[in-house]
Amino acid sequence: MTAVAALLAKELADLRRNPGVFLPGLLVGALAAFLPFFVAVIVPVATGERLADSSDFQVAIEVYRTRPALGGLGAEGAVQAWIFQQFLIVLVLAPVTGSMAVAAYSVVGEKQARTLEPLLATPITTLELLAAKVLGAAIPAVALTLACFAVAAGGAAVLAEPGVWRVFLLGESLATVFLIGPLASLAALQLAVCASSRAVDARSAQQLGALVVLPIAGLLVAALVGAVTLTATVIAWIALGLLAANALLMRIGIALFARESILTRWR
Amino acid sequence: MSILGEPLTTASARALRRRIGLLTEAPGLWDRLTVTQNLLVYARLHRLPSPSDAVARALDAFDMRSRADELTAQLSKGLRQRVALARSLLHEPDVVLLDEPTGGLDPESARDVRTLVNGMRGSRRAVLLSTHNLDEAERVADRVAVLRTRLVAAGTPRELRARLFGTRVRVVLTGDAAAFCEPLRASGIADVRASGSVLSVGLDGRTTTPVLVRRLVEAGASVESVVPEEASLEEVYLGLLRAGAGSS
Repeated sequence: MTAVAALLAKELADLRRNPGVFLPGLLVGALAAFLPFFVAVIVPVATGERLADSSDFQVAIEVYRTRPALGGLGAEGAVQAWIFQQFLIVLVLAPVTGSMAVAAYSVVGEKQARTLEPLLATPITTLELLAAKVLGAAIPAVALTLACFAVAAGGAAVLAEPGVWRVFLLGESLATVFLIGPLASLAALQLAVCASSRAVDARSAQQLGALVVLPIAGLLVAALVGAVTLTATVIAWIALGLLAANALLMRIGIALFARESILTRWR
Repeated sequence: MSILGEPLTTASARALRRRIGLLTEAPGLWDRLTVTQNLLVYARLHRLPSPSDAVARALDAFDMRSRADELTAQLSKGLRQRVALARSLLHEPDVVLLDEPTGGLDPESARDVRTLVNGMRGSRRAVLLSTHNLDEAERVADRVAVLRTRLVAAGTPRELRARLFGTRVRVVLTGDAAAFCEPLRASGIADVRASGSVLSVGLDGRTTTPVLVRRLVEAGASVESVVPEEASLEEVYLGLLRAGAGSS
């Protein structure tokens, strides 16, 4: 068993005994899963106005009705499919923001509990230590994202127009959840862990880590107003950018982590 | 600087960490994990061939088998320190660094930890104990190093005493001791102090205990006992710091 696996197992065992730390992530994830239902299903029923009648959605109707993978949706179904797909970004990000507390606390929390010093006296490398810390926060976050994704897809199968659920199985939807989601999680949580390495309290680390959410929230807004369409090419570029950001953040994290100072000077 | 003959560099640090066990001032245990889980993580981080067996051996060695499945948060301070000590020895290091191992412990727990530290004698490993508790240093250390930013002095407690205070003996007489100060000084033993029926005499290369006793008997004294007079390690420590401050 490698050092990363050993420390990761500890992180997960620790989190299992403290499930309350994921409550914010769970709430935000549930809210993110509920939000597209509210917009695409509940509001039209409550107001008696079909979304397809709005001129704002005509482009979405044209695009989504003609996609063979969606099996010939009606106009209302096409708008719902478009809304569900755009909100996938929120679904991906929500649990990450919830897990930010875990990542932000990961290093500075160990400093405060005085558990970091004996850990640093072992042969574990800084890369292994940071990787275990990031994965310890990212794995539950990604699992939570997948659970919310399954709930949203299941809910769409039951509550939305027939065939809308298929939008969750489109290549770009799956790439958003299974590629961009984990990569964005890693980037956000790495930033939080970097901050945690130098911070004296978890709160300041959390605030810095949350910054990574801003560009992705901007992407959501851009997608909703039609400035950007999440095509396979756009997703591939975003994924590449996130991959590069992750590699860079890991290098920065290692450079920032003043191992010997923590052992000898941090109090 | 070198450790175990290996120069201490960034490149050698990882290999050296495998050969060093560290007990930090605070036990540094993960509270939400059990004793076994805490030890198992470290056994794996040290890449021991059979982590479970190493943990089982440590639990037995430190008499913690019955507490193995308890969360460390539920343990007393003394037991937590015991687990931390077991953790620092899991990988059977050649050098063990103990930072204030009894700091904040009640006397019973402190004695318990000292017994465990003393138990390391004969285990063919160097034990470096950092402490402000000079009584503890006196009890467990073979050699003592006094530090004040830099190394002030190092040696066995006896050597340090001799360096600072020389060798003194305490002679108990049957009558007033002051009457014998002058005869001793006249015979060349200059460092003499009297208090009641007790004489405190500084010995040097020429004046040994038999010579001193002979001089006293010749002067008419009735000697009840002669014992070495040892300054406490605290006096030695303070004296060394004063001497260091004076010379710097």
